[in-house]
Amino acid sequence: MSNSKQVEVEKQSFLDQVRASFSNQSTLLVVTLVVLGVVFQITSQGIFLSTGTLGTVLNDWGSYILLAVAQTFVVITGGIDLSVGATVSLSSVVAGWVLVKGLGLDSTTSGSDATPYVLLAVLVSLLVGLTVGAINAFLINVLKIVPFIATLATMGAMTGLAIIISGGMPLQGPNNWELGIPYEIFGIQLPISTTVLAVMIITVICGLILHKTKFGLHTFALGSNAFATRAAGISPARQITKVYMLSGGLAGLAGAYAYIRLGAGSPSNGTGMELYAIAAVVIGGVSLMGGVGRIVGIALGTLVLFTVQSGLLMVKVITVSPSLKQVIVALLIVAAVAIQALQKPARK
Amino acid sequence: MAKKVIYEVRNASKNYGAVVALDGASLKLHAGEVVGLVGDNGAGKSTLVKVLSGAHSPDGGEIFLEGEPVVWANPREALEAGIETLYQDSGLAQHLTVSQNVFLGREKFVKGIFGKLGFLAKKQMEEEAQADLEAVGIAFPSSNRPVSQLSGGQRQAVAIGRAVSWARKVLILDEPTNHLGARQSAEVLEVIKRAKAKGLGVIFISHTLPHVLAVTDRIVVLRLGQIVRDAPTSEFTADSLIGTITGSYVKEEK
Repeated sequence: MSNSKQVEVEKQSFLDQVRASFSNQSTLLVVTLVVLGVVFQITSQGIFLSTGTLGTVLNDWGSYILLAVAQTFVVITGGIDLSVGATVSLSSVVAGWVLVKGLGLDSTTSGSDATPYVLLAVLVSLLVGLTVGAINAFLINVLKIVPFIATLATMGAMTGLAIIISGGMPLQGPNNWELGIPYEIFGIQLPISTTVLAVMIITVICGLILHKTKFGLHTFALGSNAFATRAAGISPARQITKVYMLSGGLAGLAGAYAYIRLGAGSPSNGTGMELYAIAAVVIGGVSLMGGVGRIVGIALGTLVLFTVQSGLLMVKVITVSPSLKQVIVALLIVAAVAIQALQKPARK
Repeated sequence: MAKKVIYEVRNASKNYGAVVALDGASLKLHAGEVVGLVGDNGAGKSTLVKVLSGAHSPDGGEIFLEGEPVVWANPREALEAGIETLYQDSGLAQHLTVSQNVFLGREKFVKGIFGKLGFLAKKQMEEEAQADLEAVGIAFPSSNRPVSQLSGGQRQAVAIGRAVSWARKVLILDEPTNHLGARQSAEVLEVIKRAKAKGLGVIFISHTLPHVLAVTDRIVVLRLGQIVRDAPTSEFTADSLIGTITGSYVKEEK
């Protein structure tokens, strides 16, 4: 029986194979990136494709990818985490507060002298993020509040807290700016800096966790069928706690990224970021119904999002105002969801 | 019957608010025995299943596994003690593959440090899932396909195969032949007979009375949370079984 099945697969027509590969989100996104590259190269009259642009795109990508990855884990369980943007603000502010108010430092400490303090900022941000994640898990597991409302509440609370702690102003602290400067090898400028590289490594590790480990498998299982998961002896509450703490921790690291990028903890560092994170997740092919998603798709989806963002700034044929840019990004999200919906019958 | 009692519940009761779901139900299951658990909708079958599988703790009563009193805090404890339950319509995680479902909650890891970090031995689990399903004699699909690509009958086959291959002492099957065609139902009944031959105690819950009469050694009838009849299958006919379930035979009982 399995033999005849294999023959069937081999007999698939060329057209079927093309369609099958396009139903694969990653292939679709790579094609989209190539098309975007060509379109922007033409409409920018030849200035779009450069190491500088790629550096800008990757820098923006680095700001958001950790939030998109965080959101991926959460959305795969069938939940949502609206608090990631507020967590970026709060964690960067707390890190700035510890360095500026706690240790009495300011932005005159810079260069490699500031590196230990930057690492401290990373650690503090991570702890703040994990704490927010634990609060979300508590609201969801113990108080039985649905994730949308629970994380909406923490989003509001953390945003307010960030403003209170910072006094509404950015806390300028010590920073090693070199961490954010692209590498140069033999006089050739690369589009990657230390911070972008660190974020890439974290993304790869998260991909391995999601797709190769028991933790990842249980994340998918929970979003796919919570009843069957519990019947298999897995505690949904424990898995939810881990996933929301992972999400918070990644948002905290994104807060550290924002701190290093600006040299300051600002209460507006994360404002509105959750929307882009959710957009990236949808474009990257994660089902909002849970159970489906790949980190490769998320990495590419986020890249598409910020290629569009950067590309629109360079278009010379028409002037793209920031407001129009927002409309175009919104259309992109609608298109991504529509494509997802159209793919579903093909998959069955 | 000289066989030993493998699983027993005494005087189990369970209320959901004002609703009495179980009212002093007692049940004995022997090794190598298939007991049919029947009753009308709302008779308390599903509640009794949840008590036996550790999903719900009873408000009153005791549970004994091989003569030892046990208390299940969650389904995992019952699973680890060798009691496997196939819930009605609990189904499988449809986004996962067959082997991922078979091994869900009991994953195997790669050797060495990566295994300690939780990295899964995917190939090994695929091969073993395939072998396990073959061993219980179920027509199975390839074990690395997502469950969403299987037919309803194939999904049920995988779910049953999973339960049978993991069960060490007790197998509880809640409506396993629901939604299945005649041929697939016959396959499930064969699997039950094989589980019995392995020495498992099997509790078989079904509305399809011919299936119950065909495969069980003993039939327990639940009505309004109480056990109204517990007798060898040979003492029932299709008509008397229906009568006992609906209550029209109630006066004739001891």
